[in-house]
Amino acid sequence: MKMFWKKRRESDVDREIQAHLDLEAEEQQQENAGLSQADARAAARRAFGNATLIREDTRAVWRWAAWDSFEQDVRYALRSARKSPAFTAMAVVSLALGIGATTGVFSIFNAVALRPLDVRNPEELVLIQPTFRGNRFPLFHPLFEEMQATQQSLAGMFAVSDEPYFKAAFEQSAPGYVRGSLVTGNYFEVLGLRPALGRLLTPADDEAGSKGCAAVIGYSYWIHQMRGDPGVLGKPVGVRERVCTIVGVAPASFAGHQAGLVLDLWVPMRPLLDPKLLASRSMAFYSGVMGRLKPGISRAQAEVELTAIYQRMQAEEKPSPIPGEPPIKRRDNGITVTPGAQGLDRLRRDLGQPLLIALAVVVVVLLIASVNVASLMLARGAARTTEFATRLALGAGRARLMRQLMVEGLVLAGFGAALGILLAYTGAPALARLVIPADMAIRLETPLDPRVLGMATGSTMLVVLLAGLLPAFRLSAGGSTGLHAGMAIAGRSTGSRSSQRTTRALVAVQLALSLVLVTAAGLLLRTMLHVLRVDPGFQAAQVVLMHIQDTSPSAKFGETDGPDEKARRAALYANLDRKLNSVAGVQSASLSWLGLFGGSYVGLNVHAVENPEGKRFTLVDYVTPRYFETTGMQLTHGRGFGDGDTEGALRVAVVNEAFVRERLAAGSEPVGRRMVMTYANDLRPWTVVGVVRDSKYNNLKEKKSEPMMWVPLAQAPFKVTSASLRVRPGTQTAVIEEARAAMMSVSPHLMVRRVTTLQAQVDQSTARERMLLSLAAGFGGIAILLAAVGLYGILAYAVARRTREIGVRLALGAQRAAVLRSVLREALLLACAGMLLGIPLALASVRVIKSFLFGVTEYDVVAWVGAVVVLAGIALLAAFGPARRAAGVDPVIALRYE
Amino acid sequence: MTTPSNPNDRVELLQGTLDMLILRTLLFGPAHGHQIAKHIRQATEDVLQVEHGSLYPALHRLEKKGWLTANWETPKDRNREFKYYRLTPAGRAQLDIEESKWKQLAQAISRVMWPATTGEEG
Repeated sequence: MKMFWKKRRESDVDREIQAHLDLEAEEQQQENAGLSQADARAAARRAFGNATLIREDTRAVWRWAAWDSFEQDVRYALRSARKSPAFTAMAVVSLALGIGATTGVFSIFNAVALRPLDVRNPEELVLIQPTFRGNRFPLFHPLFEEMQATQQSLAGMFAVSDEPYFKAAFEQSAPGYVRGSLVTGNYFEVLGLRPALGRLLTPADDEAGSKGCAAVIGYSYWIHQMRGDPGVLGKPVGVRERVCTIVGVAPASFAGHQAGLVLDLWVPMRPLLDPKLLASRSMAFYSGVMGRLKPGISRAQAEVELTAIYQRMQAEEKPSPIPGEPPIKRRDNGITVTPGAQGLDRLRRDLGQPLLIALAVVVVVLLIASVNVASLMLARGAARTTEFATRLALGAGRARLMRQLMVEGLVLAGFGAALGILLAYTGAPALARLVIPADMAIRLETPLDPRVLGMATGSTMLVVLLAGLLPAFRLSAGGSTGLHAGMAIAGRSTGSRSSQRTTRALVAVQLALSLVLVTAAGLLLRTMLHVLRVDPGFQAAQVVLMHIQDTSPSAKFGETDGPDEKARRAALYANLDRKLNSVAGVQSASLSWLGLFGGSYVGLNVHAVENPEGKRFTLVDYVTPRYFETTGMQLTHGRGFGDGDTEGALRVAVVNEAFVRERLAAGSEPVGRRMVMTYANDLRPWTVVGVVRDSKYNNLKEKKSEPMMWVPLAQAPFKVTSASLRVRPGTQTAVIEEARAAMMSVSPHLMVRRVTTLQAQVDQSTARERMLLSLAAGFGGIAILLAAVGLYGILAYAVARRTREIGVRLALGAQRAAVLRSVLREALLLACAGMLLGIPLALASVRVIKSFLFGVTEYDVVAWVGAVVVLAGIALLAAFGPARRAAGVDPVIALRYE
Repeated sequence: MTTPSNPNDRVELLQGTLDMLILRTLLFGPAHGHQIAKHIRQATEDVLQVEHGSLYPALHRLEKKGWLTANWETPKDRNREFKYYRLTPAGRAQLDIEESKWKQLAQAISRVMWPATTGEEG
């Protein structure tokens, strides 16, 4: 566009002046009748003056002079980039890696933590989070309602309860799962959204006794599952046990109230929740509470007001003291009001820190890439000393020369940025998959929004400063020492000493920065090795895990199932257990209320019959007989469960070693002890019949096992959520199919949420460590490669420069081995300098990954020595080529070279 | 093209004066570069010789500043296009500014040069 405009301007001036000349020629002919046309034209040109100059001057009026010479610099830089394609390619590729990695990781961070919701004035939104003694604490519905009614600082506040597996039945389709959210009626109002179709939910939809039930559909669901049919309005949708009516479609720009959350369905809370659950002051179901600040009210002001309300409400509760903890004081309770422009912060809390670490890693790579290009430019600059000296001698100012070098940096950075952004854009989804744990129902959009492009620009500027300014400063300084010096350099190639020193320092910096990444990678690798060596206490291999949901009607909140219901369910589960165990390929199968590594942490207060005061929180699960066999948990004592442990028979329990250790007197016999689980009003004791080895519960990194107790599902038929199947190798797919069929045949209410393996679930618990390890290892590898290339470059250059000197030395009887050693020594010296710089840097840096380490401290000797050895090894490897070349110098050729 | 009989009679234009003369010339109506140069020369009876090397950059500078607009137009008596310049309202205002500046300058100079007569004129 710019070029087109410029062309037009040029032709405009040309035409105008041509018109003038023609007119002038005409007049000359009129005045001087004898004049030939050619003579008249010549006379006109003479009278006009220097037409070319005038054209230039006229055009120049339109130009911004600085831009013009910048353009010249760019052309020059492009020409010199073309002249050394190897250098250019390397510089561009390393910068593209740096900028691409930075932009890519940042685009994930942006999507997770920075991008505001697309709602009205998102900056006014706040997150409202109760705390108890500084820890997050749930806000119960009655307290929310009272706070909502009394507070003055918010224009509105709403609560949401997200349901990633929300059972919903749209017309003509079997019930399936959608991502749904139960919201208070003012949700859309407070967010300030307009529907894409129909209407959104209002407070009137959220009345306690309302007969109807309104539902809003997510835009993406509407487009993809309903083909954008406007006829959906008024259609029924079965939500849980109720039938709601679709009243509208949410706007396309709004997928949900949290980064990565794409909701299919919004329904009001009250019509769908048990009034008793809503009234409960102990049962938490909110995913989060948000509000919109009134204009002119600050977050701090809102926090003060809401805290006062909350403390008053809590004080009215007269809380009972927690056993073993100091009495609860008014100030133990608080409310934090934090910025909520980005919506609920679950993903931010989970991934914010690892992502920041990842960002730090890629910024280090970017620094290394920039320094690499700077040192390459310096090395190349040494070869261009003649050019610079000549140009200085011909009157180019130092500033002009510096600017030109800067522009060369800019051009390289520009190409690097273009390639890098392309890399980031295409690689971001893959990076997102690496970063986001698979079990999170999260779809992260990573568009190139202004923030991401800003980051790309910022990192490019950093590159320009490092890779452009530094050489510009150095080289132009070297040149200004005088023409004769420059010419001497050109002739003799002794090299400008100061620019060489800078190059060496830059290589040392690269090595130092690589050391940081290599050390981090080493520590994380040691962590993963430790994690792999951890004995989970069960055998995860070959176990298929099916997450299921029993959607049959259940007891109301606060009530327990009647005996008939219990018996019916026990029979159903026994039947299913039998069917699953008879599936071909299944070695053993079992059902459980919770299962292993499910992320839950659920238990009851348990005490020995003879000691009712000794109630202690104990993890609990309800399982079918072959549970321990299926998961591979080993009984150390007594027996497991059998088919005979049914309702009416002796109520039995299995406990783990931690339970024996911590809850029973040392040396006492656990089998035969009778324990009471305080659930509802059922205080009949359970008799311990066996002990299993301790196992990890939710995470391989758990330091110690907690006391846990299992009882037969047949004696306490809670709704199961998981089926475990130990399968023979190679039968997995067929088994899953048959297991699904078995469930379907047993009950239409059994729905499969997700099928995975126990191993995958176990791996998931260290997903963040794995992610950081692969990032640190991958980028550490790139970093060390770049540093090695830099080192190789300067050594190769030094050897080439010293060919004559080496020739002389060899001619004078120096040993080739000594020459070889001298080059290798130089490399090692640089590596040592890099380590001297890098070790303190790395010591300071690895502290940020401390919380991810397991089995090693951040001062782990193996990792540190390993990193140092790797770095020294790479340095030697990079030096080997130049060293061999130096040792292979033929004195005769070297001396004739002059 | 007529040249003044004695080259020494020609006067170098003061810096900035050309802009004012161009603006003033265009007060009569649109004109192209050749006409403007010719008009200035004839109006000053060949005293002021407009250098083309100054004229065209000046025209474009004024156009860039928004004081003139330019259009390629074909005059009635010809069959080729010329680039016609027109005064814009901003250019009109600028002319007033330049004119008053020029008057001040001329008065100041004349007070120095002809102190006796300035009193009568002022």
